Amino acid sequence: MKIDRRLLINFDWVLLGMVLLISAIGILNIYSASHNLYTRGEPLYTKQLYWLLVGLVLMIITFSVDYHTIIRYAYLIYLVGIALLFLVALYGNITHGSQRWLVLWGFSFQPSELMKLVLIIVLARYCTDNVQDGFRARNLLVLFAIVGLPVYMIARQPDLGTAMFLVLLFATITLFVGVGRKLILWSVAGGMALAPVGWFLILKDYQKERILTFLDPDRDPLGTGYHIIQSIIAVGSGSLWGKGFLKGTQTQLKFLPEQQTDFAFSVFAEEWGFLGVVVLIFIFLALILWGLQLARNSRDLPGTLLAFGVTMFVFWGIFINIGMVLGIFPVVGIPLPFISYGGSSLVVLLMGAGLLMNVSMRRFILQP
Amino acid sequence: MSAKSRKWLRFRVASILVFSLVLYVALVSRAFQLQIVSGETLGKLADRQHRKSLTLYPERRLIFDRNGQQLAATVMTDSVYVDPSTAEDRRRVASKLSSILGVKKEKIVKALANEGSFRWVARQISPARAEGIRALNLEGVHLVREPKRFYPHRELACHLLGFAGLDSIGLEGLELKYDECLKGIPKKVVWGRDARGHNIYLDEGPGGAVDDRSCSIFLTIDSKIQYIVESQLRRAVEGLGAKGGSVIVMDPRTGGVLAMANEPRFNPNDFSSYPADARRNRAVTDCFDPGSVFKPFIVAAALEEGLVSETDVFDCENGSYVVGDRVIHEAQSEKFKELTIPEILKYSSNIGTVKIAERLGKNLAHRYMTKFGFGSKTGVDLPGESTGILRNPRDWREVDFATMAFGQGISVTAMQLASGMCAIANGGVLMKPHVVRRLVNKEGATVKEFEPVPLGTVISPETSRKITSILTGVVEGEGGTGKNAHIVNLSIAGKTGTSQKFDFTSGKYSAKKVAASFMGFFPAQDPQMVILVVLDEPETSRWGGAAAAPVFKRVTEQILRCSNSGMDVQDFAAVETVGEARIIPASTSITDMVYPDPEEDETVIPDFQGMSLREVLRMAQSRRIEIKTAGTGWAVHQNPAPGVPIEGNQPCYVLFDREG
Repeated sequence: MKIDRRLLINFDWVLLGMVLLISAIGILNIYSASHNLYTRGEPLYTKQLYWLLVGLVLMIITFSVDYHTIIRYAYLIYLVGIALLFLVALYGNITHGSQRWLVLWGFSFQPSELMKLVLIIVLARYCTDNVQDGFRARNLLVLFAIVGLPVYMIARQPDLGTAMFLVLLFATITLFVGVGRKLILWSVAGGMALAPVGWFLILKDYQKERILTFLDPDRDPLGTGYHIIQSIIAVGSGSLWGKGFLKGTQTQLKFLPEQQTDFAFSVFAEEWGFLGVVVLIFIFLALILWGLQLARNSRDLPGTLLAFGVTMFVFWGIFINIGMVLGIFPVVGIPLPFISYGGSSLVVLLMGAGLLMNVSMRRFILQP
Repeated sequence: MSAKSRKWLRFRVASILVFSLVLYVALVSRAFQLQIVSGETLGKLADRQHRKSLTLYPERRLIFDRNGQQLAATVMTDSVYVDPSTAEDRRRVASKLSSILGVKKEKIVKALANEGSFRWVARQISPARAEGIRALNLEGVHLVREPKRFYPHRELACHLLGFAGLDSIGLEGLELKYDECLKGIPKKVVWGRDARGHNIYLDEGPGGAVDDRSCSIFLTIDSKIQYIVESQLRRAVEGLGAKGGSVIVMDPRTGGVLAMANEPRFNPNDFSSYPADARRNRAVTDCFDPGSVFKPFIVAAALEEGLVSETDVFDCENGSYVVGDRVIHEAQSEKFKELTIPEILKYSSNIGTVKIAERLGKNLAHRYMTKFGFGSKTGVDLPGESTGILRNPRDWREVDFATMAFGQGISVTAMQLASGMCAIANGGVLMKPHVVRRLVNKEGATVKEFEPVPLGTVISPETSRKITSILTGVVEGEGGTGKNAHIVNLSIAGKTGTSQKFDFTSGKYSAKKVAASFMGFFPAQDPQMVILVVLDEPETSRWGGAAAAPVFKRVTEQILRCSNSGMDVQDFAAVETVGEARIIPASTSITDMVYPDPEEDETVIPDFQGMSLREVLRMAQSRRIEIKTAGTGWAVHQNPAPGVPIEGNQPCYVLFDREG
């Protein structure tokens, strides 16, 4: 691999800056949410800092390898991803009743998180190869197969949130690539027909409960509704200015559930108030716009698709998580990108950022 | 990429951009709705979750008499509450509780039917009942310790003390007047509570101890004297069939009240079962026409102004004197001709006093009445004091002024009369009456001492001496109206009074309903105690000299007797000005402190100690005491203690033991 001087000149410092800024906010926020929480070993914010460093190394590796090379090996990467999911199903650690974790050399890792990025890469590859100008039904069937396998495997862990997230990511990318009007109608009709089947056959009771609770949080205020009610109270009590760093009563007194992971944004909103929320959402929005800009200006389709996929990955994560925290989306276990505690998520996101940088810095270089 | 597809790509990116912008605007608006629009409401909701507060009261302080005898104490009692959410079988729980507590079963069932987890069933129950409930060990029934106000001497000084109700809030008397002082300053303690219910002190709300500035109060009241006064008043009221009565004993030198008693009285431990009538401190709240006890004030004023002299002779018109359109008569249809001033008071001549008043004139008379404290509150530190009625002299008709001279047509409280009398006794200075001597904090240090407060000079010491000598004649002189108050070897100055009560139904002064009174002080040469006795509507004996003077006499005798040195008045005076108070445990009975000579006095319980059963019964028979005995051998213990006046048919318990 030869180092082109132009790569350094074109390096996307703005993107790196935004990512590091949001990650720093995330670690501070985790500190607030967990500094008085007893955990075994290192405190959570230290762990998150280690994961950040690991992620940055992987990010450098990701943008160092030309994304065309990555696209070339897309199917291999996909197979590795699927293999990891198999390993999880066979040897994965069971926590809270689901088998999501793979422990390697003392590190626990969630292959389902990695699958999000893998899916983006494999879709970029397939679409580049087969659908230059819109899908045909046959393409769609193959795509369903490609996405269906990991979705099924993740759903049976069970981790419905991540599974649905993959479907959503897939849908966004395929829609972006271009689907005929007929196909859209066909999919929507099929989805609606399948929804009751899904409700009665696929969804488990606790999952149904979550959806019902989303529709009416007061249904069971101390049970399923507890999360969302506490989150709304924490966010709302932050008011305009917030209660201040480490001063969020709902957070510090542990009324807020899952405060360093799924509800990390509640902690932030309580302590930094509406102003903090607006600032953070603005930074997120800037990141998304930057990503879309990269997708638009990429010199070829694979670059566009990779940039777009990663941007949507971040975008949906933000929207679903914040929507859930603010009570306009059901409670699903989707972490807030760069903010929620979780090594797998952070590392995968940083690798995603690496992909974006990869596309960004190579947009002026002609394919050899 | 072709130019066309690039254009198409731009379009798609733009639409996605718009789409994501819309969703982000949705997020921000939702955040705005939660944090700005309903931020305050949700903030309160958050506070309610984690902020807990409690008002802490320091333990209610005590009330002592001047010698450190505990008059009001606080004891811990058990109260019962139910937790309806955990109670199992309502009917069973209710019937078991009902049988122990004597509370209606339906009431308990109703309490158990409530939502929530807390309902009182019975508060401040006896230890025996609490034990019974503890033994039942019922699910959902709980006992909690609460402080309860306790008055160890029951009725003693009840009207002065008043009472404190549930939650130790002063409701009447000194408990009300000094509520804040006794209660202390409550402190609101705020703390945080985490989601698991652990208490956590937040930065904003530190805990810490209550700034306890509460104080115990020491009274000017002497419970020995109070006890004597109460028992004698009760005896008189019962004996004469009176509706009620009041006695005030004051130290004229300081204005300190030594005793204040009223009939009917009540037991503050059980105040709610007495009518309001029995709980009223009549001595300060009720007004009456004083009658002839008022005459000394008119005479003192005239002497002070030099308008009359002791030797002046007044023509008493042979028992009928026309003033305006009315004829003034003497009491009991007496007819006097010419009387000197001492004789006018000695025989309590109405006409003579009217003539003295006429020399004084309306305006001067009014000025002196005001200076003696009539027509305005004395300022005694007791709640509910009345001002009495003293009209403006411009509104007085001739006959009004005339009757006022002998105490009809002016309305006063017993407190006003007693404090006015103090001014006559102490050389002419009106002192502010008070019952609280000092405030003592938790550590036992005196926080505030109430010094005597002179309110003004009314008459000169010279006049004071003159009027004292005249009043001594009322008690000691041949045929004086106050002769029933006479005690050998003790020089007493005094004045009787019998006033017709104003009958509000007929709008006239009643001939039958009277207030009989006696007001006096001793020793005349160096007055140390002023005693006022007022009996409301006595039936069998309606005159002040006959009804009230003997009460004065008996009270005085017993006060002298219970002072350690017996009859010697000089020594008695020394005892009277008690210095430092001792703290006496509440268990010490008040009667332990009375030291008369029980062998000689037939009206008190004798000392049975060491006597055989036969001897005890013989002695008891001679004094008409009902005896209840227990054990065999020699008397070792008795209740009431020796020296306590025999009261009606109250039995005396005597315990015998072989060990002696």
